[in-house]
Amino acid sequence: MNPMILLPEWAAFFSFLYLFLTVLYSKKSSAVTFPNTALILSAVVAAALWIPGLPQTGSAFGGQFLADPLAIFFKFLFALSFIPIIQITREYFRNREERQEEFYLLLFLILIGLFFLVSAGDFIVMFIALEIVTLSFYVLTAHPKTDAKSIEAALKYLVLGSLASAFFIFGTALVFSQTGSLNLMDTLIVYVFNPENLLVNLGLALILSAICFKIAAFPFQLWVPDVYEGAPTPVTAALSVVSKSAGFALLIRILFYVVPSVRIQHPIFFIALTIMTLLYGNLGALRQTNIKRLFAYSSIGHAGYLLMAVTSGDFGLPALLYYLIAYGVTNLTAFLVIIIVEKHHGSSQLEAFRGLAVRSPFLAGIFFMALLSLAGVPPLAGFFAKFLVLLGAIKAGLPGLALIGALLVAVSLYYYLGVVRTMYFEEPDSKSPVPVNTDSRVFLTLLAAAIVFTGLAQPVFMNWIHKIVRS
Amino acid sequence: MIFALPWIPLLAAFFLLFIPANRTQTLKQIALAACAVPFLIVLYLISQFKTGTADFQFVEKIEWMPALGISYQAGVDGISIVLCLLHAIVSLAGVLISNRVTERIKEYLFFYLILAGSIYGVFTTLDLFVIYLFYELTLIPLYPMIGIWGSKNKEYGAMKLTIFITTGAVCGLFGMLLLYEKAGLQSFDLIYLTQTLRTQPFEESFQRFLSPFLLLGFGVIASLVPLHSWSPIGYAVAPTSVSMLHAGVLKKMGPYLMLRFALGLLPAGVHYWSPYLAALGAAGILYAGYAAIRQKDLKYMVGFSSVSHMGYVMLGLAAMNSTALSGMVLLMFSHGVMAACTFALIGFIYDQAHTRGIQDFGGLAKKIPFISICYILACLASAGVPGFSNFASEILIFIGSWRQYPVPVGAAVFGVLITAIYLFRSVQSIFFGPFNPRWNQLKDAVSLEEKLPFILMLGALILFGFWPHGLLHLMQASIDAIAQPAVSFSGVTP
Repeated sequence: MNPMILLPEWAAFFSFLYLFLTVLYSKKSSAVTFPNTALILSAVVAAALWIPGLPQTGSAFGGQFLADPLAIFFKFLFALSFIPIIQITREYFRNREERQEEFYLLLFLILIGLFFLVSAGDFIVMFIALEIVTLSFYVLTAHPKTDAKSIEAALKYLVLGSLASAFFIFGTALVFSQTGSLNLMDTLIVYVFNPENLLVNLGLALILSAICFKIAAFPFQLWVPDVYEGAPTPVTAALSVVSKSAGFALLIRILFYVVPSVRIQHPIFFIALTIMTLLYGNLGALRQTNIKRLFAYSSIGHAGYLLMAVTSGDFGLPALLYYLIAYGVTNLTAFLVIIIVEKHHGSSQLEAFRGLAVRSPFLAGIFFMALLSLAGVPPLAGFFAKFLVLLGAIKAGLPGLALIGALLVAVSLYYYLGVVRTMYFEEPDSKSPVPVNTDSRVFLTLLAAAIVFTGLAQPVFMNWIHKIVRS
Repeated sequence: MIFALPWIPLLAAFFLLFIPANRTQTLKQIALAACAVPFLIVLYLISQFKTGTADFQFVEKIEWMPALGISYQAGVDGISIVLCLLHAIVSLAGVLISNRVTERIKEYLFFYLILAGSIYGVFTTLDLFVIYLFYELTLIPLYPMIGIWGSKNKEYGAMKLTIFITTGAVCGLFGMLLLYEKAGLQSFDLIYLTQTLRTQPFEESFQRFLSPFLLLGFGVIASLVPLHSWSPIGYAVAPTSVSMLHAGVLKKMGPYLMLRFALGLLPAGVHYWSPYLAALGAAGILYAGYAAIRQKDLKYMVGFSSVSHMGYVMLGLAAMNSTALSGMVLLMFSHGVMAACTFALIGFIYDQAHTRGIQDFGGLAKKIPFISICYILACLASAGVPGFSNFASEILIFIGSWRQYPVPVGAAVFGVLITAIYLFRSVQSIFFGPFNPRWNQLKDAVSLEEKLPFILMLGALILFGFWPHGLLHLMQASIDAIAQPAVSFSGVTP
């Protein structure tokens, strides 16, 4: 076994350990240095992935750990998403007399969990990694201990999340009863020889249901609005970006690598799932008055587009990966603006954004751009993502699905522009400017540039993605 | 050279962001230059344009996404150069008008230049994907421009306009994707697609299935009845220069893309649906004309009038022969200049009077003679009086479509009468009759800077009214190339 293939995991683990020891042994843990350290470490983890010649592909622990190009793609995605997430957390705790060390520790624990999750070659490793991630999310959601909404959100998430975990482990047990192995590849072999096996199919259905819970696909999406609204904003951002991406990583792993025939033989399930998710998210978002709740519904809508790419099979896979990049960049930009406005105003209701264009043209401009990208307007990243997904669906012979997706772009524009209306057309409650710290200003500028760059330099990303898909 | 057309305004817009908002003079000069330079480039291109060939000229190309067959390819043929000229005139006039905006001028000019640049993008690009990209990009500045600087009911109008046009655009996008996939060429290159589909067209059933997506999708922005309802309110609430660009140029993108994509790539499909298109066009002429008579607000009246005029354009498109199509493109030019001029005039009055009720005015001809004369000239042009290019174009459309669609043409000729009724009634009640002393403070356009946009636009109308050949011979070869395969389906020789 080549120890270097575990490099990202080592980097994340040692960062976690370093922070952990700082908390334990530093006499007066400073509210300033600790978040800075966390930010630097998140950058270090991301940088570790860029060392030339690394990360290497291969497998370890008898096939339980796979470092294939797909896993490495997702590790890049997670490591890079984590830098803005840490920045959002820093903004969240700014000027707040509150213990915050645990928050960062749990975030790094999530990162470790995510790294193992996308590399899992075995149902049990997958389950354990998934539990590391979700358990940390439960705790993080309940972090504001005195906020009733947060506690309610955490409880809802815990109860429904546990149910999903139960589905997953029961499904694993059913598959194991027929294959005698937990390895993904063994499942493939059994499935190929006996695709009619009832228990294996039932088990896979349960496992897929658990994953649909993670990605917030219909009908497993009911927890999303409440949890997104109640959770602290950094957690909402992480849930909507990395947790969702992780869910899709599992979906790709199972539906494209392990049992592609499930997808090919029962397309009707996936088509129905896609349509319902698209409709639920986009129609539900129309009448929201809380920005986080709006983003919850919008994230369900985006899950619909991502599912459309899954349904399109091999034509959709490159589009799916590109969509995740575009969606991640855009959503994190949006959440960084949301946390700054929310902190300043003390609430995440839509009223907080009233007249933002006057109070901070910079924030309003960036948020306008992020919203347009989410709606899928050229020349921003979101447009190219939606374009590729629709093209994939048409290539896969699903023009009806593509038409629904295209029309819902117009619907989504309505609620995104509703936010723009609040920012640009309504009178502000007070004329005082909304201050933006220099570090966040730099972050926002870079992220906004990334939204444009991801769109215009799409061939660069697509070349990389095509290499991954081909392997 | 051709790349400069969209990118001078777009880059100037970006450049404006770095200039402090209080230096309004500098901002205005940059904006003016960013519209004047493309204007001169268009004139230069026309002088270099080779007539008598249907090929695209001045073609330049940059590879962008080779895997999908997308490249940024630009060039013009006889049709698009005429529309570029239209946009050059209207955008230059519009920027002169925009400079009168007082509130948040930096943002206004920023959005204005994005709008102006992306319209050039639509008319000069020769790649389906990039055209769509510019097409959607035109929608973005409209929403804040109408929402911030518009008048009463602006939020509703802005949202309605954006949602309607986006819905149409995504239908068009869907149609384009289907076309791309079905053609199997792995290319969005318009020249390549047109050439290939001319020799090996799609089977007729597929063309029939596909063409409604393109016709209706781009028909929304052309305010094809019954998808027009965004248009009068959108224009009524928009600030002056947005109304000018929108009614004058943006609306012409719809017929232009219908001509390029639907008629150019799917002639058999369009031929199947063309009777319905002609019927919708005729219905639009009569219905919107009637609605215009009933309006009390001047801008609503002109808004409905523009819907009505687009009915003639649809009629010309439906006839699918060379005569009617030349009339259609000429009408797109003439109506564009005329509508922009009318909106500019109304804006001039509204800025001072803060009302647009037709009945609120009276006898203004003595008070503001220059504006009155311009308005009367614009109305004469709109009503299709000989001497203006609108007349030449409407005649061509009537002659070209007479054989196929006698009933719609009859309705359209009757529509000219309706147009005359509402226009001259408005002239009468605003500029003549007893003078309303409430308007004693009204000022006429005196300085050359104020007069220039109107002179520019009316001059163009009159010039090409007496010399329509100037535009017609530019586009003749390109029109023939589109009409040729189309005529073979209609079975009627013009």
